[in-house]
Amino acid sequence: MKSWSLLVPPIGILIFGLSTLYLKAHPIVGTIDASSLLGLSYLPWLFSVIVLSLIVQAILIRRHLDTMLFPIALMLASVGVVEIARLDPPLLVAQLRWLLIAMVLMLVLIRMFPLVKQSLQYPYILGLCCLVVLLLPILFGTEIGGSRNWIVLGPFSVQPSEFGKILILFFLAAYLSEHRRVLSLPVKRFLFLKMPPLRFIAPLISIWGIAVLMFVVSRDLGSALLFFGIAVIMTYMATGSKSYLFVATAFILVAGALSYLLFNHVRVRFQVWLNPWQDPNGMAYQIVQSLFSIGTGGVWGTGFGFGHPGFIPEVHTDFIFSAIAEELGLVGALMLMTCYACFFWRGTQIALRCRMDREVLTAAGGSTLFLMQAFIIISGVTKFLPLTGITLPFVSYGGSSMVASFLLLGIILSLSRRGEDG
Amino acid sequence: MADHTLKRYVLQAAAASLVLFALLYVYVAYVAVWQGPKLAQNPLNQRGAAARADITRGTIVDCNGVVLAETQSDGVRHYTMGEVMAPVTGYNGERIGSAGIEGTENRALLGLTEDMSRIGPISQLFQSDRGNDVELTIDSRLQKIAYDELEGHRGAVLVMDAETGAILAMASTPSYDPNQIEAEWKELNAQSDGPLLNRAVQGMYPPGSSIKPMIADAALTDGVTTENERFDCNGILDVGGGFSIHDYNGEVHGQINLRQALIESCNVTFGTLGMRLGDDRLKKAYERFGFTESLMGDVVMERAHLPAFGSLAQGDQAQSAIGQSTLLVTPMQMLLLADAYANNGKVMRPYLVDSVISANGVVLSKALPETWRTVTTPDMASTIDAYMADVVKSGTGRLAATKGVRVTGKTGTAENGQGKDHAWFIGSAELPKQKIVFAIIVEHGGSGGRVAAPIAKRLIQTMLMDT
Repeated sequence: MKSWSLLVPPIGILIFGLSTLYLKAHPIVGTIDASSLLGLSYLPWLFSVIVLSLIVQAILIRRHLDTMLFPIALMLASVGVVEIARLDPPLLVAQLRWLLIAMVLMLVLIRMFPLVKQSLQYPYILGLCCLVVLLLPILFGTEIGGSRNWIVLGPFSVQPSEFGKILILFFLAAYLSEHRRVLSLPVKRFLFLKMPPLRFIAPLISIWGIAVLMFVVSRDLGSALLFFGIAVIMTYMATGSKSYLFVATAFILVAGALSYLLFNHVRVRFQVWLNPWQDPNGMAYQIVQSLFSIGTGGVWGTGFGFGHPGFIPEVHTDFIFSAIAEELGLVGALMLMTCYACFFWRGTQIALRCRMDREVLTAAGGSTLFLMQAFIIISGVTKFLPLTGITLPFVSYGGSSMVASFLLLGIILSLSRRGEDG
Repeated sequence: MADHTLKRYVLQAAAASLVLFALLYVYVAYVAVWQGPKLAQNPLNQRGAAARADITRGTIVDCNGVVLAETQSDGVRHYTMGEVMAPVTGYNGERIGSAGIEGTENRALLGLTEDMSRIGPISQLFQSDRGNDVELTIDSRLQKIAYDELEGHRGAVLVMDAETGAILAMASTPSYDPNQIEAEWKELNAQSDGPLLNRAVQGMYPPGSSIKPMIADAALTDGVTTENERFDCNGILDVGGGFSIHDYNGEVHGQINLRQALIESCNVTFGTLGMRLGDDRLKKAYERFGFTESLMGDVVMERAHLPAFGSLAQGDQAQSAIGQSTLLVTPMQMLLLADAYANNGKVMRPYLVDSVISANGVVLSKALPETWRTVTTPDMASTIDAYMADVVKSGTGRLAATKGVRVTGKTGTAENGQGKDHAWFIGSAELPKQKIVFAIIVEHGGSGGRVAAPIAKRLIQTMLMDT
């Protein structure tokens, strides 16, 4: 019963949130005409999402997979769907459709996981795929919203970096589990650092390099930070070596300083972060509006549907956290963050129960990816760190992000199977 | 197989990640709570104004439900009676501020009880997207007549329910069109005749003879005369220092008592009473009748300007007893003086807002008639009221007499040193449905009895037709 009752909050949020919006748009009771019914054209989609989420949970129970992660993810997605419906009603159906597609793809992945898992044995092929996927936008990318991290395929625009993060997770898990003993053996001493031979750490350095390249060329600081961070953390998980942390910190400081000196857009972004009030209506408009949003919301918020988050450009994707903070207040914002923390903790527990090195690393790294991504974008919109364009997993509008997030969730779920040989 | 060290490192990394995430919790709370109020009130933050703009301003209606001001579907505020009702409705503009009911009832019209925009969904219990409606005591038909009667002159007309203080009409000319005010703001401010001034409550005038009922009251109350004393009016009163006071148009009233002196508005008699009363008792009389007070709330009244009692020469004492000298009052004060005699010595607090009604029809507040001050005894009130009835029956206020209605009044023809005299008429009328008091001033209109009293008659006739 517990597994089912966890689905009540997300489905409740979906139904009550959308009902609230409908009633707000049609305040006069009793008059139902064609135009007001048109506002309900999303109902079939909503219904499908609810039914599919029940099916997913049923399958998870039947397969003895974890039954807590999915409800938490659905909770985040529900908050996102409801807030997107409020911010930009025409996007509601699209978001529901993406949610549906993402859940179906997750089921497919869970079903085919034994096959997927085998790829973990070929780290170098994974590394190559990773390189290709990440270099695609750098070479053929289209600029959307200031970042050249999109690939346009006919009617679809895909953000390869969203899927790239799964590949990078697989690569790191595969590579590190294979080489962790070598990597933790200090062979060479460089000052006070213990480093293994260069050929073993070369793949890591190339990932860091790609991350920097993404930042400088695609201007996609969010993904760059995410890739860099996950590489560092997973390396630490595998080796426990603090030397890597030190080298990574030094690396990012040097890279940051160099790009600050060399590239104008990096400089501008850094200055906006340091003092947004110098140009609140120009370069710093977005971050200033975001701060206004959060400040106006205060502790309790303005009430759902009664704030004015529309002043923030791109509010439904990168800045959805600010919109939620404005309307649901600090209370709502912290609850959202708590969802991520719970999700992360549950994922880590799953990792700790896995048997194989590469499974531990995949599950732990995957969970960390979610937390880190939430951390990076929330820090960005609150001016804790320089602003970075990246989605809030499960919550932000966007197909690539939604599908990639659910695929990653599917991977963690598949690793949670108990009582069987992993 | 995974060994122990791997899981230990995973746990370490997870703990570190959570600590970092916890830092973000603290920071977000810092932004929302610590910096929140400052950010919310930042002048660059348009959210407060946007929240206000989301609210449709409530409608202002008169006592019969006639719409006076409403917000159209295109968001434009429309004032149905334009300049006729301008002194009542006032205006509201982002750049020009607000006046009248639009100003004093701003929060009610917006439906704001408190600034509760930051207390979450609960705030919506107190806030709808449509403000409250305000129902006034004004009778728009009477207001129209009052305005039409003044047209072409500068002046003001006030009509009030004698027993409740409900303002039925408040006209002031020249006026302005609140529908156009933002466009005409500059010219209106530059105009020398001050159309933005609500003369009924802000205009300062010498009251002239219309103050005499109060002086009669003071003289009797303080015992400087009796109802039976006979005064000898030869048309000129020597006030010492080589100055004298004359009666209007050089009239000579002969042997008259106080009643006849009021009926004929005898300056010689009242000048004499003024000198007998002297500074202290004159000052006390003006204070007793509330001339030193101002009014706030939905009816805003300026304080009167009184002569420097305590250092007046005899001439100024006599002058301030016939409403001249440096005495300046608003028409509203004279209306309240008239109310004292029409309402047994009690002056009601004037009000314009009868009720505030929420968008879904709930009456949120309803005006309760309230005595502003008790200024004289019922006996004295009825004595003076009888005198004032005679003013209309057989004295200077004859042109206000209306068949079948008991009308009282007092004329005033106030010298002002800037042209023709101001024409005043204050008084009361006992209509079948209610007792009203009125105060009328026509700037530079000439004789109060000939110019202002007929306006009172028109108003009374209008109200008779209504009933």
